[in-house]
Amino acid sequence: MILSGGAVLRVALLLLLATVLQLSVLSPIAVAGGQADLLVLVVAAAAYYAGSISGCATGFAAGFLLDLATGATMGASSLVLAAVGYGVGRFREVRDPSNALLPIPVAAAATAGWVVAFAAVSFMLEVGARVSPLVARDMVVTVLLNALLALPVFAGCRRLLRPSLAVDPRELRRRRRPPREATPLGLRGIEP
Amino acid sequence: MHDRKAVRRRRAALAVFVALSIVILTAYFGESGGGFFHALQRGAQEVFAPIESGASRALKPVRDFFGWAGDTLDAKDENERLKEEVERLRSQLAKAQTRRRDVRQLEGLVGLHRHDGFPQGTEPVTARVIARSPSVWYSSLKIDKGSSDGIRLNQPVIAAAGDPSSGVVGGLAGKITRVTGGTAEVTLLTDASSGVAAQVMPAGAAGVVKPEVGNPRDLLLDFVEGGRRITEGTIVVTSGFKASRVESLYPRGIPIGEVSEVDLDEVELYQRVHVRPFADFRRLDIVQVLTRRPPATETAGVVAP
Repeated sequence: MILSGGAVLRVALLLLLATVLQLSVLSPIAVAGGQADLLVLVVAAAAYYAGSISGCATGFAAGFLLDLATGATMGASSLVLAAVGYGVGRFREVRDPSNALLPIPVAAAATAGWVVAFAAVSFMLEVGARVSPLVARDMVVTVLLNALLALPVFAGCRRLLRPSLAVDPRELRRRRRPPREATPLGLRGIEP
Repeated sequence: MHDRKAVRRRRAALAVFVALSIVILTAYFGESGGGFFHALQRGAQEVFAPIESGASRALKPVRDFFGWAGDTLDAKDENERLKEEVERLRSQLAKAQTRRRDVRQLEGLVGLHRHDGFPQGTEPVTARVIARSPSVWYSSLKIDKGSSDGIRLNQPVIAAAGDPSSGVVGGLAGKITRVTGGTAEVTLLTDASSGVAAQVMPAGAAGVVKPEVGNPRDLLLDFVEGGRRITEGTIVVTSGFKASRVESLYPRGIPIGEVSEVDLDEVELYQRVHVRPFADFRRLDIVQVLTRRPPATETAGVVAP
């Protein structure tokens, strides 16, 4: 990602929108006990398109914003989301992210990492009460819902971040397409 | 060279953000409620509150749609579950109500035996009503005890009161008119053919209790001498008369009902007294058959019908 005022503004806008939507719309909608988590999807999408450093920074900012908005323990969400952003970004840097359906497993893995790591951090920090085994079911539901939402959310994030992206994975894929086959004349571009 | 630099930068970024998070966490836990991060959180929530409120209101239709879809899916399962629960509870309620009624009737029967003047040593056999006659003209019912349980023809049958508040917890219901090995038929006092020699207590005026067909809440005490003064609310019991070779089927002292009305206008030799029976003929589930006659039956100076 090209670090600029516009890029920061775009990411900030994206995170603010995601936080408001998460708290006002998605959180009250429970599907089979669980709920979709838009913020981690946005962090994963930003990391997927912009790389590990930007993913890490976006994750940190998203967590900070979430903790501010919800009144949760400050720093806990930042810690986990920064790690998630970094992980997804590294995946994008190491593997070829050109497959159009790749956002689905990426979103699922990022969400799974987020819910498990956040649960672990919460346990370590302050949860003293007895925890129901149903928490595990809710986590699975969240992962599945996020996998379902992955494609539209990733597409939306890409659209918003595109002007600031140094390398767009989909552009890379387009560039890597093999050249069209030559005509019998041996010349390209004058096919019948 | 470039790669190494990039790796270092990447790792440094991760380390910085993780360290920053841990610092914030530590500071947040370490500070008091009025500390910097807590104040920041409060401020942020104040800023967020109107945004969230506006967004919540604006996006309510979206939320409602998803909620409706989720509720519809949940409602189907819940509906099935609730239907099963209603069925189960209805069945439990029916059982409980039946038991309650049975208990009330049994209590009434037990109480009846303790009633002053009730004949002792009658060896009652408790039976459950298994069938009833559908006609008001032939008022009878079938019970689940028969000759194998010691039940014989013409034995008196008693039942619990419909309204325990009356003071008397039950009364005479009828007599056995048919017996098989395992069942018996009871002809109730309300049957058109029924007639029981009775006495108004404590005055002692005697007569014959006959039914008023079609009205199980009213019996008529006939052939009561005109000169006897009878007041409403007095109790009517079986007289258990014995005159030469004729003896009443019913032992003396079984409550029948209480006087509800006296026809004073009838200037006749005998006066007619309306009696409200203690036994609730409309709701007989459990009855008792008095299988043994008390050792000594007092002689009543009453003319038998």
